[in-house]
Amino acid sequence: MRAIAFRVAFRAGLGAIALAATLLPGGAHGEEVAVRAALLHTSGPQGTLEDGVVLIRGSEITRVGPVARVAIPPGARVLRAAVVTPGLIDAHGVAGLAGAYNVPADQDQDERSGPNQAGLRAIDGFNPEERLLRWLLRHGVTAVQSGPGEANPIGGLAGVFKTHGDSLDQALVRFPSALVFSLGEPPKGTYAEDRKPPVTRMGTAALIRGALLEAAQYAAKRKEGRGLRIPLLSRPRAEAPDRDLAKEALARALRGEIPALFTARREDDLDTALRIGREFGLRIVLADAVEGYLMADRIREAGVPVLVGPIMERPGRLETINHSFENAAILYAAGVPIAFQSGFESYVPKTRVVLFEAAVAVAFGLPDAAALRGLTIESARLLGVDDRLGSLEPGKDADLVLFDGDPLEYTSHVEAVLVNGALAWERERQ
Amino acid sequence: MRPLRSALGCASVLLLATSAAAQSKPVALRGATLYTVSGPPIADGVLVFQSGKIVAVGPAETTRPPAGARSVDLPGLVIIPGLVDTHSHIGVYSRPLVAANRDGNETSNPVSPEMRVMDAIWPGDPGIRMALAGGITTANIMPGSGNVVGGQTAYVKLRGESIEEMWIRDAAGSPVTGGMKMANGENPKRSHGSRGKAPMTRMAVAHLERRLFVEAQAYRAKWEAYRAKGEGDPPDRDLRLEPMLEVLAGRRVVHHHTHRADDILTVVRIADEFGHRVVIQHGTEAYKVAELLARKRIPVSAIVVDAPGGKHEAIELERSNPALLEAAGVKVAIHTDDYITHSRLFLRSGALAVRAGMSEAGALRALTHSAAEMLDLGDRLGSLEPGKDADFVVLSGPPFALRTRVRETWIDGEKVWDRADPRDRLYQTGGFRVADRYPAERR
Repeated sequence: MRAIAFRVAFRAGLGAIALAATLLPGGAHGEEVAVRAALLHTSGPQGTLEDGVVLIRGSEITRVGPVARVAIPPGARVLRAAVVTPGLIDAHGVAGLAGAYNVPADQDQDERSGPNQAGLRAIDGFNPEERLLRWLLRHGVTAVQSGPGEANPIGGLAGVFKTHGDSLDQALVRFPSALVFSLGEPPKGTYAEDRKPPVTRMGTAALIRGALLEAAQYAAKRKEGRGLRIPLLSRPRAEAPDRDLAKEALARALRGEIPALFTARREDDLDTALRIGREFGLRIVLADAVEGYLMADRIREAGVPVLVGPIMERPGRLETINHSFENAAILYAAGVPIAFQSGFESYVPKTRVVLFEAAVAVAFGLPDAAALRGLTIESARLLGVDDRLGSLEPGKDADLVLFDGDPLEYTSHVEAVLVNGALAWERERQ
Repeated sequence: MRPLRSALGCASVLLLATSAAAQSKPVALRGATLYTVSGPPIADGVLVFQSGKIVAVGPAETTRPPAGARSVDLPGLVIIPGLVDTHSHIGVYSRPLVAANRDGNETSNPVSPEMRVMDAIWPGDPGIRMALAGGITTANIMPGSGNVVGGQTAYVKLRGESIEEMWIRDAAGSPVTGGMKMANGENPKRSHGSRGKAPMTRMAVAHLERRLFVEAQAYRAKWEAYRAKGEGDPPDRDLRLEPMLEVLAGRRVVHHHTHRADDILTVVRIADEFGHRVVIQHGTEAYKVAELLARKRIPVSAIVVDAPGGKHEAIELERSNPALLEAAGVKVAIHTDDYITHSRLFLRSGALAVRAGMSEAGALRALTHSAAEMLDLGDRLGSLEPGKDADFVVLSGPPFALRTRVRETWIDGEKVWDRADPRDRLYQTGGFRVADRYPAERR
């Protein structure tokens, strides 16, 4: 069961996280790869198949089905595993903007020069070669939504990136994918020493509302200023305001082109996010949501999804004291769409791994199927990338994870990871 | 408070035995699989304890409970020794973890052997109950790693309302001697160097540590001279150096926070120079010097975390560290470093070590008997054997399986945490401060 039919020629030593990239079968145009699994979780319409196969040509999936119905073409390279899933998707974090060393040189997630950074773009700080991304990759995480951190009430624009690829072009899946906001303790602490806003939760909310209002007015004036004008009949044209990158970003969220992703933990902060969302007609996504389980019905009624986690949130703040390992299970049972995020880590370990996060959620009552969907198709849907990622279906990116057993079990192993049809990581045998 | 006993009827069949305080009557737990750690697992085992001590352990067919023993059947469940955490900060970094509750690093002086963690432990810290919910019965609670010498650690059981009740006591009733916390590498540099004070470099970290040992040697010489003479005034008491005399005498083990391989070798070099006993704590890169540590019989208490990074010296972290140390013949424990990892998920740390190649038996030993040995308590704790303290954990399944839950935690023959109790349960899941609002169907 454990056998993978081909081996990587190159072997790195102990800390081999970097094999990947260049060497690999698949990927090569025209070559066909078949991944055969005793248990194939497609996260797609075919559900879970016993003795299933995924056929791959180049970087795309071409066919999926039970081996009995989908013939493996002669000459195809065959990879086998006990269990195969789609590539896992970390629904929100900072890996790539935040680096493993945790020194100013590699921390690019928090622009602490002002509380409204809506104009910032994750693509301008994302390092596709960051080793944290490779660490996630070796745990089956093939894509992450990475964006600005939690220091500012308005952080900037996030994007969806693959964890494999040497350049932004290779890694980028979608940009922008969300505008990120932060409530509660972190933003009010960033400038408090200088007595600059926000110093309170009121200040954070006022700042966000003010920025959204100004952006709405800006968008209206831009539209009016550029509108068709009939001489004599039309009112004199107001001067179109100059372009403002921050307001443009906020306007995209106001128009619903991208969601407004609010990181909040305490119940009242989560309610503040919902309230601001209602006031401005935003597509709200809640992230972290420590106390979400205390208001699961309200979140469901608001039609808002939750990016849960870190499930293994560490103490360190007052607003995390009511954290529960059952948060994901309770939200899911209430009918709230959930996915898993790594969030923000400021010390050792420098990132969370959503595979592990989902496992602990399962240990505390989340059904396995909900966990797997939250790691794959549900996450892809919430990030707006389900046309390419999140399930094993013809036409989608060939991002697959090969396991030697139950993917969520502590003692199982990721045997190999394919990204865009290429073997991006393979386990060193002990 | 809400009624404790729900419709679940407290699946807790052990309820019978709860009030058995210093029970004079023996209690026999029957039908569970016993992971004794001292031998292979025993299916359908019998564990008998009385007056806080284990009196018999064995398979059902050959182990007869003594006359008058109260029998409790636990079919399908698993019993393991109480877990021993060689490196924890519960009680000194209490929940909620705000500045008001951070008492682990007296960074006013980088060399602070006079600090006693016992003077900062808050027995009411919810973190202590959370640790019980993870099956931890004994902990080495330590100062942090912000100082080169952080202070005196405390070996405690997680019960009681005061540090006096938490102490582990020797046969004479005196608290057992704890350890001495020391640290090298980045942390002491960061907490002092960043303020323009020594240590700013690894050289100064080692120098400060050695200077303290030299002072302690001089102080010891004074006492030796006084004792040899048998007359005159004794040397003045010195709160800084008294505990160091215990270190020099080998009665107080140095628990040395250290990550990078060269920092580990610095710890070894200084231990060679002054002859004290050390436990390598964290030992992130110990796998790189495993043969040397095995040869010198220096034990390692390792941490297992989800990912590397967060600082330079944790970059080359590999979860295979405990496995590689085990293979090299090094004595290995695994610790929580709570709050760096969750005490509630302590078994998970062992499971992740297994994932990375450690034997299951070795991983369980790393959480129990090897850990107890690093606290000089291996003769009393860490395995299910007659004569040992009746500290054990009842699990719903095998120790390293994802879906296994800690059901009950027992210390000295008393049940101290019970998942069937709705209040206790919330220390395992979280939510204990909002118990009255916690979703009812989950209670």
